Amino acid sequence: MKRMSSSPISDNPYRSIRAEVQRVIPETPTIKTIRMKLTEDLPFRPGQFIEMSIPGSGEAPFTPSSPCYQKEHMDVTVMKVGKVTELIHRLEPGDTVGLRGPFGRGYPLDDFAGKEVLVVGGGVGFAPLRTLMYSLFEMRDRLARLIYRGGCRCPEELLYTDEIKGWGDRPDLDMVLCVDACTLEDRWDGPVGVVTTVLDGIDFNPRNAVGVACGPPIMMKFTTYKFQELGIPDENIYLSMEKNMSCGIGKCGHCRIGSYYCCKDGPVFTYAEIKDFPGIWD
Amino acid sequence: MRYVSRANLKLLLDDLSGQYRVFVPVRKKDSRFYSRYEGSMDDVVIGEVRAFEPLKAFFFPAVEKVAEGFSGGSFPHEKDRPVCIVGVKACDLKGFKVLDHVFGQEDEYPDPSYIKRRAENLIISSDCTMAIETCFCLALGLKPFPQEDFDINLSPVGDGFFVFVGSDKGKQIVERHAGLFEEPGEELSSAQEKSRLRVIREVERNIEEHGVPSQDRYQGIIEKGYESAVWKDEAESCVECGACNTICPTCHCFLLYEQMKGDEEFARFRMWDSCLIKDFARVGGGDNPREHLWMRLRNRFEKKFDYFRKVADIYACTGCGRCISACPAKIDIRDVLRKLVEENE
Repeated sequence: MKRMSSSPISDNPYRSIRAEVQRVIPETPTIKTIRMKLTEDLPFRPGQFIEMSIPGSGEAPFTPSSPCYQKEHMDVTVMKVGKVTELIHRLEPGDTVGLRGPFGRGYPLDDFAGKEVLVVGGGVGFAPLRTLMYSLFEMRDRLARLIYRGGCRCPEELLYTDEIKGWGDRPDLDMVLCVDACTLEDRWDGPVGVVTTVLDGIDFNPRNAVGVACGPPIMMKFTTYKFQELGIPDENIYLSMEKNMSCGIGKCGHCRIGSYYCCKDGPVFTYAEIKDFPGIWD
Repeated sequence: MRYVSRANLKLLLDDLSGQYRVFVPVRKKDSRFYSRYEGSMDDVVIGEVRAFEPLKAFFFPAVEKVAEGFSGGSFPHEKDRPVCIVGVKACDLKGFKVLDHVFGQEDEYPDPSYIKRRAENLIISSDCTMAIETCFCLALGLKPFPQEDFDINLSPVGDGFFVFVGSDKGKQIVERHAGLFEEPGEELSSAQEKSRLRVIREVERNIEEHGVPSQDRYQGIIEKGYESAVWKDEAESCVECGACNTICPTCHCFLLYEQMKGDEEFARFRMWDSCLIKDFARVGGGDNPREHLWMRLRNRFEKKFDYFRKVADIYACTGCGRCISACPAKIDIRDVLRKLVEENE
């Protein structure tokens, strides 16, 4: 397996660095972006994750959503789903949090050079893809093509609404956003349907394409099948897997997928690497 | 090879107590527990059979502080003298093969605390001089006497022990205390061989009685038995206590948690965890890849007999039988292996 991870911070992989909350940006009714100022360097690559801690309460894994080149601050975009994320949603500017990482392999960007890159995001899965997209924009002249397809449940669940308007104007990006459903009051003029419905009809060469998916398990499963249907080889399908990553260094045992640990061998895997393991979508 | 009398072994342990915290197996009723050596050899049983507790506890404690605040600081935080563990059995030593793979120097992220203890602790192992009903080490390719991964091994004969040196550290200790060791008498050699053979016979009898398949028949049993009825059948009586995990010399999973220390500082700890517990693999959003208990029981076997085989070419079982004794539901790893092998062949 190709390894792209760097060493975790310092000589103690269990130590968090201190970060201060600068801004809390409400994105949707259940999703907030927390902007943090770090007290130590924590360089990461797209797809790698960090463990964010509410000191004394607990940690949870997140992939940063800010660009890798952004050194002034780091963003994480967090959906309120459980105990730690609930506490994260209560954070206010000035609060202290802990960050540990980066962990795992990110996307092998050098392998994307010369390829047609098709990125598909679902719901809060758009957060880590935002980081990836900014890296792809940076290397855009080395890519044959850049396509983004994003879906979410309804218009009010769409992340980074203002920012993404600017993406729509980029001539070097082919972007379509869709929603699963909307009402008449929603003022949505894009397509309606699950995200796989907007993957049809893209004119591209699947043998020279890379497919990237990040989102809820059900969305990743059907996007993967769609990628296959479109003819993208399994080894060019990149999935960002969500398991119960805790230590980040393949020791605590919670996030095993077959012969891999999601934390250190992933969280980005090619479909070829994991397709034979039972229960990958569970 | 040399010989040390029990009286001289006491003198050796007295001396080692200056440098090490020495632990010896002490018999209480039908079990043996590691106890701190305080200068008395009463009730100390060097031979016999494996202790109640797994050896991993000395290298990977049940609870350990791994970080303190944001300030860095060294890890491990323990400043105590290293440990010398006496009477360690071959089955526990095999545990190192698994733990070294997870925490050791060869890993991409060596664990600072484990490595320190591995380097500094001293192992004075010993042969088994008996087997208990749950012993089945031979099925895992082990012998009931240590052959590697010890500093010094004691092989009980007569009123003393044959002494084998297994590392430079062990060699130095024997050399430094040369006066305590003697040349063994001829006649003791055959006594030692007889004793070893007798214990092998005892374990063989266990294996025969329980129909325990040997490890050369384990290849593929998990993959082929993935949908076997064994998992649901066996899990029916499981009470999800996790005793099999905590008592196992190769189980290494842990839970990270943190606690406040006063209003400002916090500390992070790791504690042995159990893959049988429902929330073990559950993600924040609530999805659980191993929702049902039988899936978690299967996962335990998958980890031991498939995962470790693939990543480290080893079966993560030592045949120590602790999980059999510890299980309140009487789930017997030997029966599970037998059924899987039978279904596979």
